[in-house]
Amino acid sequence: MDRRKFVQFGVAAGGALLANSALGQQKPGAQGPARPAPKRAVFPGGQVAVTTPNGVTLPLKEKDGVKIGHLVAMPIKHTFAPGLEGDCWGYNGRTPGPTIEVVEGDRVRFYVTNKLPEPTTVHWHGVILPNGMDGVAGLNQRVIKTGETFVYEFTFNHPGTFMYHPHFDEMTQMALGMMGMIVVHPKRPKGPPVDRDFVLMTHEWRIEPGARRPDPNEMTDFNVLTFNSKAFPGTDPLVVGRGERVRIRFGNLSAMDHHPIHFHGLTFELTGTDGGEIPAAQRHPETTVLVPVGSTRVIEFVPNEPGDWAMHCHMTHHVMNQMGHGMPVMVGANAQKIDAKVQGLLPGYMTMGHAGMGDMAEMGMPVPKNSIPMVGGPGPFGSIDMGGMFTILKVRDNPDTADPKGWYQHPKGTVADRADEALMKADGIDPDAKFG
Amino acid sequence: MKTTPFFSFSALALLFGLSAGCASSTLATDVREVDDVFKARNRRDLAVSVPDEEDWEKTAAEVPKLLAKPLDADAAVRIALAHNRDLRAAFYEIGIARGQFVQAGLLPNPEIEFELRRSTDPAQPLQADIGLEYDISALLLIPLRKGVAEAELSAERLRVAGEVLDTAYRARTAFYTVQARRQELDLRARALTAFQAGYAAAEELNRAGNIPDVDLATQRAAVESARIDVAEAENLLLDARESLNATLGLSGEQTRWTVEAPLADPSTEALPTEQLEKRAVEASFELAELEARMQVSSRRVGLARTEGNLPHLSGGFHGEHDGFSWELGGHVTVGLPVFNRNQGRVISARSELGAQRERYAATATALRATVRSALNRVESTGRRAQHYRQVVLPAREKALAETLLQYNAMQVSVFQVLDSQRQVTQTGMAYVETLLAYWNARAALDQIIAGRHRGLGLGPAGASGTSMPSGGGGSAEAVH
Repeated sequence: MDRRKFVQFGVAAGGALLANSALGQQKPGAQGPARPAPKRAVFPGGQVAVTTPNGVTLPLKEKDGVKIGHLVAMPIKHTFAPGLEGDCWGYNGRTPGPTIEVVEGDRVRFYVTNKLPEPTTVHWHGVILPNGMDGVAGLNQRVIKTGETFVYEFTFNHPGTFMYHPHFDEMTQMALGMMGMIVVHPKRPKGPPVDRDFVLMTHEWRIEPGARRPDPNEMTDFNVLTFNSKAFPGTDPLVVGRGERVRIRFGNLSAMDHHPIHFHGLTFELTGTDGGEIPAAQRHPETTVLVPVGSTRVIEFVPNEPGDWAMHCHMTHHVMNQMGHGMPVMVGANAQKIDAKVQGLLPGYMTMGHAGMGDMAEMGMPVPKNSIPMVGGPGPFGSIDMGGMFTILKVRDNPDTADPKGWYQHPKGTVADRADEALMKADGIDPDAKFG
Repeated sequence: MKTTPFFSFSALALLFGLSAGCASSTLATDVREVDDVFKARNRRDLAVSVPDEEDWEKTAAEVPKLLAKPLDADAAVRIALAHNRDLRAAFYEIGIARGQFVQAGLLPNPEIEFELRRSTDPAQPLQADIGLEYDISALLLIPLRKGVAEAELSAERLRVAGEVLDTAYRARTAFYTVQARRQELDLRARALTAFQAGYAAAEELNRAGNIPDVDLATQRAAVESARIDVAEAENLLLDARESLNATLGLSGEQTRWTVEAPLADPSTEALPTEQLEKRAVEASFELAELEARMQVSSRRVGLARTEGNLPHLSGGFHGEHDGFSWELGGHVTVGLPVFNRNQGRVISARSELGAQRERYAATATALRATVRSALNRVESTGRRAQHYRQVVLPAREKALAETLLQYNAMQVSVFQVLDSQRQVTQTGMAYVETLLAYWNARAALDQIIAGRHRGLGLGPAGASGTSMPSGGGGSAEAVH
């Protein structure tokens, strides 16, 4: 390659990178576990920028006092977790779309280009704006046809946590992944400042094991539950510092389900909804926050106990991946009796679930292509038998340098383990005690 | 008065001798002539050996040898040709026609009349009359009658040659049916095993309190219905064996033959489709027989006309002895064909000829249609069988493998896995039925090209003839 061609190539490659950057795109696989969010005080009053685990923030450029952004609605290929890819729809090459982060009072101009095979619109969920910008197809605007670019321009007059999503054929478009979060920082923040600010969009999908297309027609039996469109073990952990003040903003654009998100190892207070801030006097400690469909919930907490803490939807089927529900309970059956009959016909058959499903992740049974086991991610003590809407809050003393992939090193004697027989005897514990 | 005998004694002795010689069995000749027909067509595999009359109860030597090994279709044909008693009877029936031919060529016998008379007048001497009468018309008509009988003999020979083909065809298709029914039984048994596995799983799950009694009962019903399917399949196999036994002429210990090979996959050899209709018409024993029958009718017309128009002629000599001397003389009797000139027989014979001419044309049309139908059936069943083997069965196997993966992914139950397995079995049954239809069609096409198109069991087009294992339909749904 001569120098001239090298320069041309460099310009072209650089241009592509810039274009991707301008859209908040990232190539699939380029993203790694979220490094701890740097304490960038980039918003008024020292507010830090939000972090979208497994996601990005929409780049905005400012011109004549207006912040300008570009959303491209488009078909995408999305990896929910290693081994499970989907043919989805999203914005700027991803689902959820890039997080829009602005400040109260910002005038914005969002260009929306439709590269979907059908029309779309964008509704700015929870944002109070001029009626013609609200994005409801047929009511507030005509649809954005395939290939068209529309422009939305309005001012964010209220701080808070909001969402955006289509309001044309939303059943299909949202089921396929078209949604994103909006964070509007207050011009004059109140209360103690936070050190970390995360956004997590909860969602639910139906993807048949072996299929690639989420099923928009599904109404009840969702089998892939996600934070920011990732199912455990695909979810990035949230790394925070002990004693730091942490904010997590949840959104829920699931089709049918609310999500009670439960935290281990801490209590939090609900500080806001998409309706606004909750007065300090009305806040109270919780360990589980219910995020209803079509709502946002903001919580804040200060973790004081270091460790790797589970954080998950408490609906037990929402922490399973691609769980099927059309089969009989196998618990308690004698697997050998069934195997003896069936394996004569099907040598590859093995009765499963007869002793519960806790060890399913370690059975290593072959499953259909493009599907993932119901549960299972690597943990420091073995497989973590969770899936779906599950992630890990990693509370560290040194969050800015901690390895997001690393596990908490427990002080000696602080991990539950097999009981010592002498201790049991001394404490009067009889493991063979009979009841009933 | 000197008398001169009309026939010498030696001449009479010769005639009697000739008659005696013609009375022996012509079976060997008849068999050889039919074999010669097939030799001329380069079908030595259809040679038939029929034992002499004195050995008629004995089994042909090659039959035990063929029965000692697992049968194949060719061996079944050989046994049938050597041992089928109906076929042997057919060869004897050629003898009937041959006898009629011989009879038609025999000279009419002279009639001699003696008469003695005594007068009531004692003075009158005893009178003796002697007369000899000979049917000259019958003598003159011998060539014509012989011609008719010869044509009938020829037609009969062709009919029996056709029966040889029929016997071989029946043996071959009966053998194919045995193969198919044997495979069906194996597959039905496999389906039963799948139902039994489902029932075992249901029993365990019911015992563990995981499924209700209704699901267990449904699985039980499926198992028991599948048992019926197996029993029916066993019966069908027995029927098929007995059908083959009858065709091969076997009984007693001879019926313990075995079959090992399954129906072969469709032949990859190109079909001999060139000028197939023309070849079939040229080879057709049915048309050849009809042609011979037309010849018979045509000759009957000639015979009837000649008989009708020819004055009845007879002649003879007469001698009368009046006690003193002989009076010798001759006479000729001529019947005048004034009223009865065989008009009725001529009409019948002509009508018979006309009917056969039309039947010939109809048979030729039917033959051509059957050729096309059989060729279409061979091609159609062959393609379907290939499709089953190369596409449907692998697809079912793939579906089963994927169902097992779905089971591993906890998406489906063991009952659905077993249901998918039964689908493989069911497809196997459909494949076997299609193969049977293919080989039957192939045998039918070969039969037509060999010269026979009637009585072919092509069966209904496109019917696989299989049914789902009895318990299959609702079992998977019954348990989740």
